[in-house]
Amino acid sequence: MANSQAATLSRAFVAVAHPLRRTILERLADGELTVGEATHDFPVSKPAISKHLKVLEEAGAIVRVIDGRTHRLRLNGASLEEAYAWLARQRALWERKLDVVEEFLNEQEKRA
Amino acid sequence: MSEIDVDTGTVRLERTYEATVEAVFDAWTNPEVMQRWWKADPEHEVTIAADVRVGGGYRLEIRRPDGDEMAVHGTYREVARPDRLVYSWTWEGTGPYAGHESEVAVTFAEEEPGRTTVTIEHAGLLDETSRANHARGWNGVLDSFARSGIPATR
Repeated sequence: MANSQAATLSRAFVAVAHPLRRTILERLADGELTVGEATHDFPVSKPAISKHLKVLEEAGAIVRVIDGRTHRLRLNGASLEEAYAWLARQRALWERKLDVVEEFLNEQEKRA
Repeated sequence: MSEIDVDTGTVRLERTYEATVEAVFDAWTNPEVMQRWWKADPEHEVTIAADVRVGGGYRLEIRRPDGDEMAVHGTYREVARPDRLVYSWTWEGTGPYAGHESEVAVTFAEEEPGRTTVTIEHAGLLDETSRANHARGWNGVLDSFARSGIPATR
């Protein structure tokens, strides 16, 4: 259980570790797109694009919806959310410390 | 400003206070501040110990009314008042993967008199075997924040 969770997070981190893959995910955030719509302006070869899509699919970040001859890409939020949420929680704890420090400094100023 | 770097698993935050760098540094390491930070729920029993000098240790522990315990500990690696503080960060726990060490670096900079920016960088959170454990630990902290009505994220 723990190992498979770690493996899922690991794949999710790999998925978002490349700027082109992050761009694909950002574009899909607004809805499904064809491969062409999502990647037409990328300055890389088609095989390179296929490779990036494969990484995203293996991470569970996107799913390919085949509609006749058209391949549409759809964001599969859950797997990435897990990775982001985990780091967001670390951040939240430090946000709280920053808040507590602020509160304390304000009190000290009033006392002075 | 706050930032999550998923490439490296580093969390960075920054906050500017209307205070001198010494005041902010001292607030950061103040035991009462640590207490308030950690005690998100009045029902929690919090134990704080910190020996703020290079090589000194700290430990923060929460005990819930139901007996659940959660603790983090570490060692101060750099204590350069009032500019910089670096410490290791290791969750304890009953889980089989507790014990992974990450590192927190806090930098204090007085950009103009009475105006100090704090930058936190929590790095080394990407160890594979500990990821699941971290998630569990922070979940607990967040649950307690939720119960206390403090928003988990902004």
